[in-house]
Amino acid sequence: MDNVKASLSNIVGGENLLDSPEILLGYAKDQSFVKEMKPWCVVKPKDADQVEALVKWANKARIPLVPVSSQGPHTRGDTVPGAPEAVIVDVSNLKKIHSINRQHRMAVIEPGVTYGELQAALAEKGLALSTSLAPRAGKSVLTSVLEVEPRINAVHQWSYSDPLRCMEVIWGDGVRMYTGEAGGGVRDLEKQWEKERWQVASTGPMMFDFYRMLTSAQGTMGIVTWASVKLEVLPQIHRMYFVPAQQLSELEDFVRRVVRLRFSDELFVLNGAALAGLMGETPEEIAKLREQLPPWIALVGIAGRDLLPELRVETQEQDIKEIAQQFALKMVPGLAGITGEQALAAVTGSSDETGWKARAKGAYQEIFFVTTQDKAPGFVETMKALAAEAGYPANEMGVYVQPQHMGTSCHLEFILPYDSNNPKETAKVKRLFQKASETMVGMGGFFARPYGPWAYLQLNRDAQSYKTIQELKRIFDPEGIMNPGKLTI
Amino acid sequence: MALAREIYRAFESIVGSRNISEDLGIRETYRCIPAQSSAHFGPYDQKTPLPQAVILPGSTEEVQQIVKLCNKYKIEFKASSTFWATMGYIGSDCAIQLDMRRMREIEIDAKNMTAVVEPYAIGATVQAEAMKRGLTLNIPGVGCSSSPLASTAGWAGFGPTSIFMGCATENMLGAEWVLPSGETLRTGSVGAGSGWFCGEGPGPSTRGILRGVVGTTGTMGVCTKVAIRLHPWPGPDHIPSVGDAPAYRAVLPDNFKGYTLCFPDWGAYANAVNLFHENPDILFLGHRQYNKFGRNLKVAMIKILNDKNKQLCDLPALMEDPVTKKQNEDMKIDVQVILAGMSKRDMAFKEKAVDTILEETGGWKSEFMQEPDIAAWNLMYLLRLGHKNLNYTLCGAYEGTFGLTGNVFVSSSLMEEASALKRKWELESDCIAAVGGDSDMGSISVMGGGGATGWEFFTQFDAYDKESIKNTKLFADATQEWMTSKGLGVDFCRWNEDARRPDGYNYTQEQHDEMYINLPQPHVTAYQYKVREAFNPNKLTGSYYRTLTPEKLKEQD
Repeated sequence: MDNVKASLSNIVGGENLLDSPEILLGYAKDQSFVKEMKPWCVVKPKDADQVEALVKWANKARIPLVPVSSQGPHTRGDTVPGAPEAVIVDVSNLKKIHSINRQHRMAVIEPGVTYGELQAALAEKGLALSTSLAPRAGKSVLTSVLEVEPRINAVHQWSYSDPLRCMEVIWGDGVRMYTGEAGGGVRDLEKQWEKERWQVASTGPMMFDFYRMLTSAQGTMGIVTWASVKLEVLPQIHRMYFVPAQQLSELEDFVRRVVRLRFSDELFVLNGAALAGLMGETPEEIAKLREQLPPWIALVGIAGRDLLPELRVETQEQDIKEIAQQFALKMVPGLAGITGEQALAAVTGSSDETGWKARAKGAYQEIFFVTTQDKAPGFVETMKALAAEAGYPANEMGVYVQPQHMGTSCHLEFILPYDSNNPKETAKVKRLFQKASETMVGMGGFFARPYGPWAYLQLNRDAQSYKTIQELKRIFDPEGIMNPGKLTI
Repeated sequence: MALAREIYRAFESIVGSRNISEDLGIRETYRCIPAQSSAHFGPYDQKTPLPQAVILPGSTEEVQQIVKLCNKYKIEFKASSTFWATMGYIGSDCAIQLDMRRMREIEIDAKNMTAVVEPYAIGATVQAEAMKRGLTLNIPGVGCSSSPLASTAGWAGFGPTSIFMGCATENMLGAEWVLPSGETLRTGSVGAGSGWFCGEGPGPSTRGILRGVVGTTGTMGVCTKVAIRLHPWPGPDHIPSVGDAPAYRAVLPDNFKGYTLCFPDWGAYANAVNLFHENPDILFLGHRQYNKFGRNLKVAMIKILNDKNKQLCDLPALMEDPVTKKQNEDMKIDVQVILAGMSKRDMAFKEKAVDTILEETGGWKSEFMQEPDIAAWNLMYLLRLGHKNLNYTLCGAYEGTFGLTGNVFVSSSLMEEASALKRKWELESDCIAAVGGDSDMGSISVMGGGGATGWEFFTQFDAYDKESIKNTKLFADATQEWMTSKGLGVDFCRWNEDARRPDGYNYTQEQHDEMYINLPQPHVTAYQYKVREAFNPNKLTGSYYRTLTPEKLKEQD
């Protein structure tokens, strides 16, 4: 193995090859229930050339590669090796923002760029990127969009994978290319920019959608070394409101109506426990807030950008307020001592290193899938029953309902906070996680992003799709070196 | 050639004797001139090959059985629904044509704003059904008598409403698809039995096989059902109309307004379009439409179409009319837009937003286009998009040339130069209609929320004059040369030039290898070769799917 190590050192430099037991342990597990497995070593390439060389080397050496972009702690098991003797390719050092184009509202970023870093750079140019809900401080923007984490502004999500557009990828077979519109030109960003091409269109570049091989793929097809993302103009006025309700079903028609009319910017529903987790700083604060907050809250963001900002905000405020009234609801500027301003900052900003979901009890487990809004209340009731059956306190369970893709579907997420130092509680959550995942799949919950055991559960329901994914894997990663074991391929 | 009896009977046993034909008269009607562009006609010297049989399947199961038989006997096949383009026709003598007209179901889920449509459910029908539920759909530029499934699965699918509603790829949800191998793939949530709401995943999206920037033109099998996203329609449950054909006028409430926005120069135009892209909630629709008649003709043509006592022969006199001239000059650089207010306040905001953009860019609204009858005609024209036949009014045939698609600042800065080139051909050659050079038309955005324009220059020629056809092709050579010199890529009428030979037959792999080896990133087509090998092992669907033998890349290395 020393020869192998020497080859790797030649590619990334000795200082970027890490194999101390402490470091390896850090990559061997995460906060999910995915089985722990120690990698053989960790490499930290500094650019795409090194990534390309690594993938070519791995093909010859038949050694598995596990790409990692975000800083820890990881939570979904996708970066824990699924095969022995794997090399972790940690690309978090690729931190360049290659371009920010104000005119076309596009940016090209490397995988190590976090939300905080990108938003700060964008704000200087009067731009912003739509986010997932309060992403972790160390979360890679590129991974977040590649894994299709739901955006909080469904009405501006024309494409399911917005704001992701073009990418540079080194496929599992070592071929380096651009996807989408960028794949139709020379493989040189500078030259494309000289021709005023700003990597705007995600599809193609011909009849095959290359980028769709990479979305939700958990690094099983290749390693992405840059991606272009579609931006929005930075709001001049930005407000957030609350619409409280006793039942989730009471909010269903309200949310549907607002999305359907293309009103609002941010729009989603949290239960009291989830909003408490998001806004509280300490477990005590969270517990207190949980008591004070109503069971369900729709959060509505309205932004005024460069064009008539006051008028847009005023218009939408009044219209949405009236829609709320039509459904016997009230849109209010504050709730349980939380102001709209505070909520907006928490929702659109980055949360701390461990993420807001961990604040209540130190650890958490998520169960999320895609469904439609009308079915969400049924899933929630079932989940409550399962929690009760498992002896898990349902009042501590967070629920997040996020309309997606202009409202044609929604992301439904259950957040189960727990104390990972308490073995009994951990075992309880693990059992609940397993049982609930199986039940939700059985009820028609669609695990589009099938992490860990969900891959088996979901793909087991559709033999033809599974077979097709295997065929595609053979095309782009014929030696099976990219994150083997994930997605059960 | 005729199918062996045993094979014919095997197909017949699947669909029944009423839904299969090998009658020469019937088969001849399933041939098309192999025009290079996607949708435009002209009586060229060649036709696509004669199919050995025409089959009308009635269900996914029947399609699957047909495709399996085709694999067994190595017979090529091509499915088409509304047959708008040459790409829907076969490319070999050993092939059958599937006509999907028996499959026309529409199922609307109004709550979740989706429709599941079969191949022959046309845009107008889907729109009519959707409007009953306060919804509508993106109808691509090809018009409302085309199949939404075909534009979703088969081709580009962008149109006037794409800035608000997105294009076909963005609207595509779950799909049911008989692969060329005969296996049925149901994408995303459909495959899992969860519903039609999501076309992605689980994991990497298999729908990537089924379309890229454009659809696979029937080369990846037969799409039998697709779910599409619907969009808000804040109007009545149908479009009430008055008037006589072709000047039907829409009678709509005040929350619908159509304007023709005009600009002093292309710089101002680009700035305005960019502001609409930046504020994508404002426009319900944005399209440079009537300029397709030509910069010098458009107002005169609109007047002819709106007056049942006028005909094309009145065109010269109308063009000399000083009022018409002034109106025409007023909207030289123009775009048609429609605002749809979701509430009174929303409408007021949108009106103010348009006025502000015009103020900032020095633009104005055409008064002529706001005359009540013309405004109502414009609304009907653009919202229903049922006037595709008017594209042929001037000369009976047209081609789309140039194709200034993409960055609006680049395309608009070249507009006058392109127009001058066309004007030169209009005046010096006797082949294309002299309409004023600029006959550019197309969408304000080819993708949801803005980002890129989709423009082509309508070039009308005489469909019954071989010289005109020949010289139009020469003109297209000149536009391509100009496009290449500007680094703009492939001219609109050549988008499918590499997909089918001029004689109507498929290209061979060797011919495709020669074409694609020199692409800037040839791995794109090499991977497409591997995808075809995996899912279409017997290569039964023609040569529209662009492939490069991977070994050629190794030779190049």
